[in-house]
Amino acid sequence: MKIRDEIRLLRHGRDWRGRSTVPRSADPWIQFEEEREFPTRWARSRVAVAVRSGLRRGLLRPVTWSQTRPVVEGVEYLENLRGPAVFVANHSSHLDAPLVVSSLPRRFADRLAVGAAADYFFDARVRAAATVLFFNAFPVERHGSRRLRSLAVDLLDDGWSLLLFPEGTRSEDGWMSAFKPGTAQLCVSRGVPVVPVALRGAYAAMPRGRNWPVPGRPRISVRYGRPLYPAEGEGFRELRTRMMRAVVRLSAEEELGWYGALRAEADESLELPRRSAERPGPAEWRRVWESTRPLDPRPRRRVWTF
Amino acid sequence: MSRPGFVLEVDERTPPLLVHQGEGFRLERLPLGSKVVYPPDSLPGVRNVDAAIDHALLHPMGIEPLPELLRPGMRLTVVFDDISLPLPPMQTPDIRQRVIEHVLELAAAKGVDDVELIAGNSLHRRMTPAELKRIVGDRVFRSFFPDHLRNHDAEDSANLVDLGSTAQGEVVELNRRAMESDLVVYVNITLTAMSGGPKSVSVGLASYRSLRHHHNVHTLRHSRSFNDPPNSAMHHSYERMKDLIGDHVTVFQIEATLNNDTFPASTGFLNKREWEWNLADQGRYLAVKRANELLPAKSRRRLWQATAAPYGVTAVNAGAPGAVHPQTIANVHRQQLTEVQGQSDVAIFGLPYICPYNVNSIMNPILVMSLGLGYFFNMYRNRPLVRPGGTAIFYHPVPGEFHPVHHPSYIDFFDEVLTQSTDPAVLETKYEEQFATDPWYIQLYRKSYAYHGVHPFYMWYWGAHALEHLGEVIFVGGNRRTTARMGFKAASTLADALEIASHTVGTSPTISYLHAPPLVMADVR
Repeated sequence: MKIRDEIRLLRHGRDWRGRSTVPRSADPWIQFEEEREFPTRWARSRVAVAVRSGLRRGLLRPVTWSQTRPVVEGVEYLENLRGPAVFVANHSSHLDAPLVVSSLPRRFADRLAVGAAADYFFDARVRAAATVLFFNAFPVERHGSRRLRSLAVDLLDDGWSLLLFPEGTRSEDGWMSAFKPGTAQLCVSRGVPVVPVALRGAYAAMPRGRNWPVPGRPRISVRYGRPLYPAEGEGFRELRTRMMRAVVRLSAEEELGWYGALRAEADESLELPRRSAERPGPAEWRRVWESTRPLDPRPRRRVWTF
Repeated sequence: MSRPGFVLEVDERTPPLLVHQGEGFRLERLPLGSKVVYPPDSLPGVRNVDAAIDHALLHPMGIEPLPELLRPGMRLTVVFDDISLPLPPMQTPDIRQRVIEHVLELAAAKGVDDVELIAGNSLHRRMTPAELKRIVGDRVFRSFFPDHLRNHDAEDSANLVDLGSTAQGEVVELNRRAMESDLVVYVNITLTAMSGGPKSVSVGLASYRSLRHHHNVHTLRHSRSFNDPPNSAMHHSYERMKDLIGDHVTVFQIEATLNNDTFPASTGFLNKREWEWNLADQGRYLAVKRANELLPAKSRRRLWQATAAPYGVTAVNAGAPGAVHPQTIANVHRQQLTEVQGQSDVAIFGLPYICPYNVNSIMNPILVMSLGLGYFFNMYRNRPLVRPGGTAIFYHPVPGEFHPVHHPSYIDFFDEVLTQSTDPAVLETKYEEQFATDPWYIQLYRKSYAYHGVHPFYMWYWGAHALEHLGEVIFVGGNRRTTARMGFKAASTLADALEIASHTVGTSPTISYLHAPPLVMADVR
């Protein structure tokens, strides 16, 4: 048999990575290999930090900024922040991490690690390598951890700031869902400050299922809030509520403005996200409808008025 | 935890499946709906083999611990399986070496001076000193060879003893030294459920006079299968002989079972299920297959014959032959048995490069027949994989090559006997005696390294049950001349073979493929 025919026969029914479909009758007997942990230590070496910094400024930010129109607010709150912090943001799009990473001051961006879903970003080696190189990502187990100990604690102890998306996954409908308690537990146990970040318009720009932003450079707002410090004796549930309130408030600033959002929070008229199961709320289509509403284009304030 | 064996049903999601074909292999796309019988995954080997051997020797079944059977001044004979086990040969140190060393340690501690080691090679060819050394290890070899480490000689009448006959009139004539010892320690590897137990001594140390009572057409036609001792007339005969032997000598049997790690890591894909092959496996498949095809025939054979399996030992048991063997069989079944629902019209078998009788040798057409219609066809329990009157399709090139030193009688058998008849019963009555008593074959068996003159007949009888059961036998890729001589058909592709078979099983037959090696035994319900 010619080698070409041989290869064709061998490749029959296999994808480009050589994986075959599993015969139906063999399904119960499929053996999943014990997944090896993808090494991420190399991404925190000095060289990798330099390379990542270059990639971020030379590739990630220009591309993101060319395809969308991000408006970044509240970076000034980070001025007095020292030492590692945990940035928590709502999560509705693959644009979220590039937006936060590229909008952070360099002293944070160069010392930042991003928590990425182990089952999504670390299932294929190529994707894992790219994610780790660009974002200094570390795997986060979402469903029933097999790992005894997350890397997050070690990273904080080593002085790395973290970017985490405590919702655990990208929103289906663009609305924020309740935070999982892990991030709050981490911050309470290590006593590190939390910086709330709200992203608006990312869902409209690039929702689940898209791998490139919609055309037309949609506007996206990235708002940083004041760091929240775990108070003496504060439990992780209280901190988690504070985190959610802060992110919701920052998010509401889009419509209500800064002061309006503060007032609304004081009046307790801002609704905190609840777990989707117990959320009566509006129908799904209305949530998607709201989330995809283009942000107010905010024309430049007219200086010369007549 | 190893996965159990299972039956795959070929669907559109099934990749092409691996089929062994002599000194090579290929991928084959089987018709949709075909059943493929996979063996259980290789079981984990015992971590500490030495401890397992020690435990077996000190806690045997149905007999006193070995140290209690040893005493100064006794005659001890250690008998071990010959080169036909295991297949392929295992990586050194061989489990027999490790067991023998433990036995001899105990014997030395007890002050036993009169020790003989005999290879239980029956009518198989003698093993060369190098082959003996590979099995027993350097230390044993240097201590005992050549005077006290020997091959059994079934034609040395001075060294044979007639123990009498069983109730059924079966003559039991065995090695004199062993039978006149105070203790026989038999070191066995039970690779398939056929070997071991009562078979070890009654076959391994027997002469032609004794062997003819169970190695004959009638017995083999009533051994269904010979891999299932309770339903095997051949094994019933062994049982009767074992009882007679037990009256004369104490036999301490040590049986080791191996897992299914049949191929070394470099060809690890041969041990894996095809849809689990990763890129590296596929790369290796292509590279090994290509290199294998490009090699000159001689080098290719040498390379295959040099393959040693990284077997793990799944268990070591010891005791009286009758007591220990059921335990051993259970271990073999744990590794090889897969339940199959129903027989099929066509059974497909990929025959590998090796059978028990061509280690370091050439697999001639007779051996191909015995491997296919004997060993592979009989890898069943309850009922054959293929229905009565069905078709067996084997993959093997069946080259017309013979090893002139190892298989001289095979050449004459092929050229002079098979041209007269292929009916085992006719061959048995008309020609067996002549080949068995031919002085030149006896001379070659005793002084050279030849299989006994009668051995090709036994190989033919090995397939007697299959020949009676099957309606058609087709060899894919088989040499037309040799297959025709044996009364079979040759086809160039599977499609052609199924076309030929359509005369007996119709155009849409049910098909089963026994995916071996690694060995699998179908438990057909």
